[in-house]
Amino acid sequence: MGDFWNPYLPPSSPQRRALGIGSVASVLLLWSLIAATGLVSPSRLPAPWDVVRALGYLAWHDGESMLFTATLWSAGRLVVAGILVICIGIPIGIFMGAAPRINAAVSPLVDPFRSAPVVALLPILVMWLGIGEAMKIAFLFTGAVVYLIPMVRDAIQAVPQGYWISARDLGATPWECIRKAVIPMAMPRISDAIIVAFSVMWTYITVAEYVNAKSGLGQLIQNSRRFSAWDQVFAGIFVIVALALLTYQLMVRIKRRLYPWETQQ
Amino acid sequence: MSATADSTPKDPAKSSISVELKDIVQEYPAPGGGITRVVEGINLVFDRPGINMLLGPSGCGKSTILHMLGGVRPLHAKTPTSGSIRIDGIECEDAHDDSVMVFQRYANRPDLSVFDNVAFPFTLNLWKKRVAEPEWRKRVAEILEAVGLSEKKSLRPSQLSGGQNQRVALARALVLRTRILLMDEPFGALDAQTREEMQLLLVDLYGKWPCLIVFVTHDVTEALVLGDRVIVLSAQPATVADDFAIFAPRPRSAEWQRSEEAVLLEKRILAQLHRAAGKGSVRVTV
Repeated sequence: MGDFWNPYLPPSSPQRRALGIGSVASVLLLWSLIAATGLVSPSRLPAPWDVVRALGYLAWHDGESMLFTATLWSAGRLVVAGILVICIGIPIGIFMGAAPRINAAVSPLVDPFRSAPVVALLPILVMWLGIGEAMKIAFLFTGAVVYLIPMVRDAIQAVPQGYWISARDLGATPWECIRKAVIPMAMPRISDAIIVAFSVMWTYITVAEYVNAKSGLGQLIQNSRRFSAWDQVFAGIFVIVALALLTYQLMVRIKRRLYPWETQQ
Repeated sequence: MSATADSTPKDPAKSSISVELKDIVQEYPAPGGGITRVVEGINLVFDRPGINMLLGPSGCGKSTILHMLGGVRPLHAKTPTSGSIRIDGIECEDAHDDSVMVFQRYANRPDLSVFDNVAFPFTLNLWKKRVAEPEWRKRVAEILEAVGLSEKKSLRPSQLSGGQNQRVALARALVLRTRILLMDEPFGALDAQTREEMQLLLVDLYGKWPCLIVFVTHDVTEALVLGDRVIVLSAQPATVADDFAIFAPRPRSAEWQRSEEAVLLEKRILAQLHRAAGKGSVRVTV
């Protein structure tokens, strides 16, 4: 037990893997037992094997893959909204972090939205932008950008002042200090903000696709729910979780490759 | 500083410079109201290249003076409160390009290689305009050779030791060939042996690229080993307590440090520092 309550002693990687797989497997086992014994009716909790079958059905049926099409739609919306979040949110966050007066003026407009019910904005967006793609992308954008902007600002402000002073002493103009010293030093944390933004967008995708559901994973789940096909609802949720995890892992990997110096500091 | 400036050692006596501190007073708002006077009526003139040691007890305001010289001003207070600093007769009020600082905590960028750290100033518009790329590449190569880091130029700071990191900081400062080099306890965080190596390196580099160095330290031995001139400051508020020249040639051996001249100078400095310590409650680090 000496090594158990020790936050600085991570388990070996085989041990970590065994523990992770073990806990997921136990939940699956418990779920299977509940389904097999009929403790909960299948209309309330579909059996794991039914979810797997539904997944297969969605993945390939009648010569088409509903799942693939839906994923492409959702991913497409996510990428468009993501590009907007990056192109608009990052400059705003950088300006706020770099100029305290801009921060003082803009943060009352941005910070409250972090705790505001973004979902409640959906009807307003529908009113303004209709029920087409513009509304869906605007919703994803709003949901993610209110997280990204404060994170980017904090990333800028977290760069130790010494780098700013040193660049200034070497003859950099204040803006050069920001551009050539502070921003490069903040890049790892700015990347973290982008990663969080994409995670947030994956959680909002179903909501964005509820209204006027014609395509996408949200629509797929919504449709299945309408027909009480709970196995397909579960399958859809698992696909979104898997895609979100995949996006996260991929982005973290890219970040580590781009900024290997961060962990060595 | 011209784009075609050659890199051969200059005769220190030939390059003229004048830095004048006149009636410098510095006050900061004290926590909990009131005002703390950190520096009181400092008058100093530096009129030739050389290594000038600014020696004083910890927290006596010597770094404040150095930062003023470099135009690196704190944001929360006007510096100096009164008095003036003139470089070649021109009042110095903001960051300027006649000097460059070396800090105790090296400001090496963890995201850049050793080479890019040293070449960093040349990515700034100011130096880009003044020094053409082939020239600065030559200078960077030359200075990396001089500080013994040619082999390590593609490594990142995290892959270097403390002493090597301070060599990078020194190289980045010297590569600009500014007329004034301001050093704020640059070797203070290093172990004794590395500090000695760095002192020898500085003497060597100074021989190659002489300039006006103002070197802040609280280490009496360091002041004696490096200085052409030693300025002893009193405890806060800082005033000039003593100011003398040392003519012994550098590098000054351990033997010289035990010579009668050195021992007398050391006694003289220590007497001043102890008097300074008696003035207030300050720690004397020797």
